[in-house]
Amino acid sequence: MDVGSILSILITSLMAMVPIVLTSVGAAWSERAGVVSIGYEGVLLMSAFFGGIMAELTGNAVMGLVGGILTGIVFGILHGVLTVYLKGDHVIPGIGINLLAMGVVPFGILAYWGTAGQHQMAVTMWHWHTKYGDLSPMVFITILIAVVTWWVLFKTPLGLRVRAVGENPEAADALGISVEKYRFWSTVYGHALAGLGGAFMSVDWLGVVQKTMSGGRGFIALANMVFSGWNPLISLIGGWLFGFFDALATWLAPQHIIPGQFIRMLPYIMTLIIVAGIIGKARPPKADGKPYKRE
Amino acid sequence: MEEIPVLEMKGIVKIYPDGTKALKGVDLTVYQGEILGLLGENGAGKTTLMKILFGMLHPTAGKIYVKGEETRFKSPADALANGIGMVHQHFTLVEVFDALHNIILGMEGHGMFSKIDVEKAKKKLQKLMDDLNFQVPLNVPVEELPVGVQQRIEILKMLFRDVEVLILDEPTAVLTPLEVEELFQVLRKLKAEGKTIIFISHKLNEVIELTDRVTVIRKGEVIGTVKTSEATPQILARMMVGRDVVLRIQKPPKEAGKPILKVENLWVKGDRGEDAVKNLSFEVRAGEIFGIAGVEGNGQTELVEALTGLRNLERGHVILNGIDISGRSPKELYELGIAHIPEDRTHMGLILDMTVTENAILGLQWREKFKRWKGTIDWNKAKRHTNNLIGEFDIIAPGVDAPVKSLSGGNQQKLIVAREVSKQPVLIIASQPTRGVDVASTEYIRNYLVKLRNEDKAVLLVSADLDEIIQLSDRMGVMYEGEFMGVVKPEEVTTEEIGMMMGGIKYEEIRK
Amino acid sequence: MKKSGSDILKSINLKALIESLIAIFVGFLIGAIVLLAFGYDPVTTYSALFQGALGSTTGIASTLAYSTPIMLTALTFAISARTGIFNIGAEGSFYFGAIAAVIFTNIWGNMWFGLFMGMVLGALWGLPAAFLKVYRGVHEVISTIMLNWIAWFFVLWLVVGPYANPNDPNKTLRIPPSARLPLIGNTNLSIAFIIAVFAAVLSYYILWHTILGYGMRASGLNPRAAEYGGIKPKQAIIWSFIIGGIMSGLGGAMKIMGEPPTYAISQGMANVYGYGFDGIGVALVGRNHPLGIIFAAIFFGMLRAGTPLMQIEAQVPLEIIKVIQGIIVITVAIPGLYDLIKNAITRREV
Repeated sequence: MDVGSILSILITSLMAMVPIVLTSVGAAWSERAGVVSIGYEGVLLMSAFFGGIMAELTGNAVMGLVGGILTGIVFGILHGVLTVYLKGDHVIPGIGINLLAMGVVPFGILAYWGTAGQHQMAVTMWHWHTKYGDLSPMVFITILIAVVTWWVLFKTPLGLRVRAVGENPEAADALGISVEKYRFWSTVYGHALAGLGGAFMSVDWLGVVQKTMSGGRGFIALANMVFSGWNPLISLIGGWLFGFFDALATWLAPQHIIPGQFIRMLPYIMTLIIVAGIIGKARPPKADGKPYKRE
Repeated sequence: MEEIPVLEMKGIVKIYPDGTKALKGVDLTVYQGEILGLLGENGAGKTTLMKILFGMLHPTAGKIYVKGEETRFKSPADALANGIGMVHQHFTLVEVFDALHNIILGMEGHGMFSKIDVEKAKKKLQKLMDDLNFQVPLNVPVEELPVGVQQRIEILKMLFRDVEVLILDEPTAVLTPLEVEELFQVLRKLKAEGKTIIFISHKLNEVIELTDRVTVIRKGEVIGTVKTSEATPQILARMMVGRDVVLRIQKPPKEAGKPILKVENLWVKGDRGEDAVKNLSFEVRAGEIFGIAGVEGNGQTELVEALTGLRNLERGHVILNGIDISGRSPKELYELGIAHIPEDRTHMGLILDMTVTENAILGLQWREKFKRWKGTIDWNKAKRHTNNLIGEFDIIAPGVDAPVKSLSGGNQQKLIVAREVSKQPVLIIASQPTRGVDVASTEYIRNYLVKLRNEDKAVLLVSADLDEIIQLSDRMGVMYEGEFMGVVKPEEVTTEEIGMMMGGIKYEEIRK
Repeated sequence: MKKSGSDILKSINLKALIESLIAIFVGFLIGAIVLLAFGYDPVTTYSALFQGALGSTTGIASTLAYSTPIMLTALTFAISARTGIFNIGAEGSFYFGAIAAVIFTNIWGNMWFGLFMGMVLGALWGLPAAFLKVYRGVHEVISTIMLNWIAWFFVLWLVVGPYANPNDPNKTLRIPPSARLPLIGNTNLSIAFIIAVFAAVLSYYILWHTILGYGMRASGLNPRAAEYGGIKPKQAIIWSFIIGGIMSGLGGAMKIMGEPPTYAISQGMANVYGYGFDGIGVALVGRNHPLGIIFAAIFFGMLRAGTPLMQIEAQVPLEIIKVIQGIIVITVAIPGLYDLIKNAITRREV
């Protein structure tokens, strides 16, 4: 492996990191507040699509990213209402959202652009072109978001309260903290970040809208969130590792040294080992996924 | 006393949605700077009253005055804003946070997005702790701290909010004797600083040692308030439990037979790892009802769970009909002749979303008489069995296929009794068998337990209802902190003496 | 063995049934709005959809064929759900069932052997999540998501590597003709459908007529009471993963052994992907009741089978049915839907 291919793998993995990290950070925040969602896969896909539309309508790639965020917010509100206010199950809505996305996006691509399965974006973000691949400003924004989210979650009153409602809602409630309010807006924030990640894929990184473009990243992000112990800062490193394995597997595929599938499997196996407590410890917030009702 | 009470509750009535009258017009007056004891048995209404004061429950009727002004609390936060704080029996701490963050939660300072000023909070807390002359580690996750320290963190949490009145609900239940002493020092110190404390307890010695005045509640009513300096354990016990027990149950005298259940030096741990049952030994003989009295939370639950295979024994032995049954599973115990009427009807005794029939075979599902072929259940046979139980026990049910939750509480309980009896046991362990059950069903169940005794079964009755224990038991043990304060025949002691044992005074000491 | 109708009725919750019907209605309603928004005619679309699915023998056969795999993956979810477990691992067991069929029928070209090995591998793939749950307290949603992807990459490696078809490297080895599931009449429907219905009835029988099933349901509704009743909830959970894995493994095997003309796992595993998640939707609409699942699966199969005619007659992209399905599942997720609607109606009348 020469320096060139190492650098190119590194740069590819930085771009691949963005949607995973954004979603992991959002999911970590939401679960820290006690709301589980497995609908991020669908949110990524739909925000890639609606972000793409928004970018072309306005002729502005940044507006495309905003469109992605708005898409995330809409599904965050939906999920928040069902789980936080109506006290419903936390997993089922996500299954519905994922199914919906698998319909909305291919249907939308065909109905809106009239092409089947794929649309080449007319408007994309500015990239910094290097010899070894493109780099987007979003890479740095993502790092910034992860760091700031971590800081707010662990250093500020807001973060303290969010973590309190996810760990022990009774305790928070007894001190006058509105469990529902904090949980709801945490859910919205989590999905909004995933929305940004989705739009990044279409209007920035790949420059296409594709019906399968989420490619399991919503689930990878959940794995990374668990892997990182629900910590936004660590999920930055974890997300980069997941991206790195992805790039490495792609690079290794033609070399026939190790089948790429085994490289791609590794992050999931590592995550399982960590949640099983065989190496390290990953403990979810205590009230994660549990609806809170006052007695 | 001429001063204005810091707190007054007038005519507080609480009726729960299911019609239970928990409080029947309670008046309570609390003065600045005193320690008021609130004494009463289980279900007397102490905790309900305090939850109303702390804004967790809303009274059906009645008024609350803080420093003479009428006030309404919608939530605990309202109560806190009015200077009233409460430390619950079960702590409300975020286990993974350290003491500091648990305490400042919700009062972190200005700006949701600005950095929490940890140093400033630490300084304020350090001053609080120095004033009170106790220390807690501020930077260790509270889950790693002993219960006594966690309790102090709860107290600090309230003081950090500048509460004037501090309510403590059975604060010593989880503490070691040394921790109790330390707690009392803290509380006296607080009193010296002018704070007011309401101390909820059933422990006579503690109430006498700590408080200035004692208000005694019984069955939702205030029996009276006395100055502690003028009170004795006898007076308080009489107020707490003293009454004429109406013997409505016909119980012919009977010689007890051979021992069926023998418990030898049994130790059982509670959920928090504390010793809930300490070196307990007793036996239950054929044809007798052995009652275990005591305020709840003194190890009865853990004892029953250990005897019925639902909790591990720490040390000691349990012998049934000469067979050591320590550590056997519930299924094995049922086969060996134990029946168990659990204390928690809706969470353990029944599966509310299943039908009457499905509940009527719980714990009997393997029996030959319900078998169609190997591993399957013949529901027609199960229904016939259920119909028999319904007929025999006069259970009112819309049908055998109706969900069991559609039955009234009394009928649900009768179904449990019927099911357990149908196991044809040699030993029936009945835990709070008539709690929350209507009068007629209560009478029925009590008579049935006597009938089982007359049929030479062994009955272990665990109940916090003193009337029930006194009426039914041939012998009784009074449990306090995992031990018996005495094993006596009900007719040989006064209720007052039982009350003193429930409050933690040994029988030998009473008789001295 | 005489089974009275009331026995089955008592296991069905009427309110839940109505909620599912409402959800289906809402799905079609919002689907119609989407169609209108993009300039399609919902009436033409829906009539073509139903015409295509039910208007001919081929259509009906196609409906039932599409319903088969999702019926089985739905059973996986439902059996676990009845035991209080959120098993979304049907997807992984389905892949393993499919590859087992390819591997083992090429060793011994016997249909029953292929089905059996599909069930075995499916069940084995259910076990890691079961043990992680019972012995390490790992939430099954997390573990099954991981296991699904591990299964995906592992089976993909088998598909493109050791078991790729030397004559057509995009596909796996084909199922030998001797091990293919017989077709019914002159259609493309294999006996897989009948086996799936039988599996659903069997699941019902296990859950409601055996001691094991009684223990599973008791554990799911109230683990403490179950323990009190002498049931071991941990064992019940392990059994639910095993039986669930068997169902999905069978589904995966039959997908490959009973689907003309391919009889192989196709490129990128396209013909085995997504059935696990579709099955969850089926289970939810079927209210986690095996008999409800038969109907829900046929309904979802019908949507899928109607799409070719819909595409021809209304020129609507076939994915509109996924939109409808997604809306249905989200609507089913609204807690207390029945009461919400009932209250809304009564309030208007008052």
